Amino acid sequence: MYKIAFNIAWESLMRRKTRTWLVVTMIALSLSGLLFLQGLYDGMVTHMISTAIRSDSGDISLYAKQYRLEKNIDYHIKNIEMIKSYLDHLDGIDSYAMRLAQEGLVATAHKSLGATLKGVTLEDEHRFGKFDTFLYKGKFGFGAKNQNAIIGFKLAEKLKVDIGSRLVFTAQDATGEINAISFRIIGIVKTGNIAIDEGSVFVSMDTMSKFLDLSKSATQIAIRIKDSSQINNIQYKLKKHFHTLDVMRWDELYPMLIQMRKMMDLFNWISYAIVFSVAALGIFGVILVSILERMREFSIMMAIGTSYKIIRYQIISEAFVMAISGYLIGAFLGWCFLIYTASSGIDLRYFKAGLESFGLNAILYADIRFYYFLQAFSAVFFAIFLSVLWPLHVLKKIKPIEVIKGKTV
Amino acid sequence: MKLIHISKTFFQGSPKEVKALADINLTIDKGEFTTLSGESGSGKTTLLNIIGGLERPTQGSVYIDDIELTALNDEQMAAFRLNHIGFVFQAYNLISVFNVKENIGFIMKLLGDEDTKIDKRIEELAAILQIEDILDKFPDQISGGQQQRVAVARAVASRPKLILADEPTANLDSKNSERLIKMLRTLNEKEHITVIFASHDKYVLDQSKRIIVLEDGEVIEDN
Repeated sequence: MYKIAFNIAWESLMRRKTRTWLVVTMIALSLSGLLFLQGLYDGMVTHMISTAIRSDSGDISLYAKQYRLEKNIDYHIKNIEMIKSYLDHLDGIDSYAMRLAQEGLVATAHKSLGATLKGVTLEDEHRFGKFDTFLYKGKFGFGAKNQNAIIGFKLAEKLKVDIGSRLVFTAQDATGEINAISFRIIGIVKTGNIAIDEGSVFVSMDTMSKFLDLSKSATQIAIRIKDSSQINNIQYKLKKHFHTLDVMRWDELYPMLIQMRKMMDLFNWISYAIVFSVAALGIFGVILVSILERMREFSIMMAIGTSYKIIRYQIISEAFVMAISGYLIGAFLGWCFLIYTASSGIDLRYFKAGLESFGLNAILYADIRFYYFLQAFSAVFFAIFLSVLWPLHVLKKIKPIEVIKGKTV
Repeated sequence: MKLIHISKTFFQGSPKEVKALADINLTIDKGEFTTLSGESGSGKTTLLNIIGGLERPTQGSVYIDDIELTALNDEQMAAFRLNHIGFVFQAYNLISVFNVKENIGFIMKLLGDEDTKIDKRIEELAAILQIEDILDKFPDQISGGQQQRVAVARAVASRPKLILADEPTANLDSKNSERLIKMLRTLNEKEHITVIFASHDKYVLDQSKRIIVLEDGEVIEDN
């Protein structure tokens, strides 16, 4: 029985190619649009999270207790050699970077601003987060005598300095004395991490240690792990071993990113609901009309002995064949959009200023996740299911002979 | 076939009621070639639809081969029509998305017959009804006379016990009408199919072995 109904459905779809393609195209276009939007929104948040992890927090960061609250170098991490040794032997650690930071005043001959001076080891930063890829201008290095600095691009703009400009950084050292140190700018970085772009100056770890009179110490040890699903497990081990330190995950250090992700998820759902409702209404309308216009045909079939079950199965088969075709085409198109956007990105340089103020690049890259396709699959089939319910209800109520006689539909 | 105390009233919104049939009692034997006749509005099409299970009587019972048709639910009624009754409608009512061949074989397909058996039967009927040349055409590509012959082929293809034909010649010229009735008569004689017409066409009445005349929903003549 079902084979016959499916054959009738197939014949009907093939003989009404325009209508069939209309529905399939509608499903495919709305679906590919949804997939594209979803991937793009997720890509934006993923990019922000990735930037924060690469440029600062890592997956997990270690701080001396109180440091994050008071930003005072009295609360620094000692025994860094022992910590290094432990991290070198801990399973699941990919890389780590030690940083020594102090807040102070950065000045040119004309202007001064509050900023954070960070002592880093560039080789470690390259391994840790490919920090060199953030280089916007100049060179990635501190020079042979470690007398050069790398500065965030927004800070450079505010100070109106460029490559080769000289800066003076003034801050309190570990003994409580106010010291000043002079650097020449060798590189400008653009990370997308607002805190770094607007307020950080990077110098070598050795220079920073001497400047602060604080050797073999760090204010932050940022750690990258191999498998992000192990983050809680590794955090637990680190907390257990270094109970005198704060052991923070990236999402605890950047709660704003989590809020942003939640907001984007909500935005995603709203966009999804709007686009999908419009598409579902379109699909519903086309299928409803296609069934209503064939009431006479169905009535003839019922009058000559076709059971309602066969016609119901025929209509459901038609709808689902269109849904599957639309889904496959739409998923393929969406996948192509996402693949392209994930590799080449979308160039939105026209909105550069606005995007950068949110820590986003002018070129947006999309994410591709398997669940997008599962979600879209469920959504399409839910819409199709809804779209056949009412027409089937109408069909069940009709009296075939009255439709044939033209009395009612 | 027995029709016992059949009445049908159409309710077109209270208090407007139209009494289409009033206490009809009839027995029609197997293999009859019968016409229900009468003026327009006499109730012949309504009676034909009740016999075919397309409409339910307000009162009374229809028995075909000891099965009380009026007691069946919609699904059972559809199954009964599929297995035992062939319909020929005044407006042909072919399925527009199927070609002639598919229209003729449709009921056999629903009954689960094999393709070879269906093809053989289509060839046989096409030869009898002289529609061999239009088997691949669609209903909107053939004439009214050809459509009516296809409708007859569809009705008889599964060898039903009963064929119900409602004004089958109404849209045909006299030549096509004669040809159609002769063909139905041949099928009636060769395959012992009971044929009941609803018609006031003189030629149909002349060819009928029994004529039941209806007036205002009542049988006024049966001979």
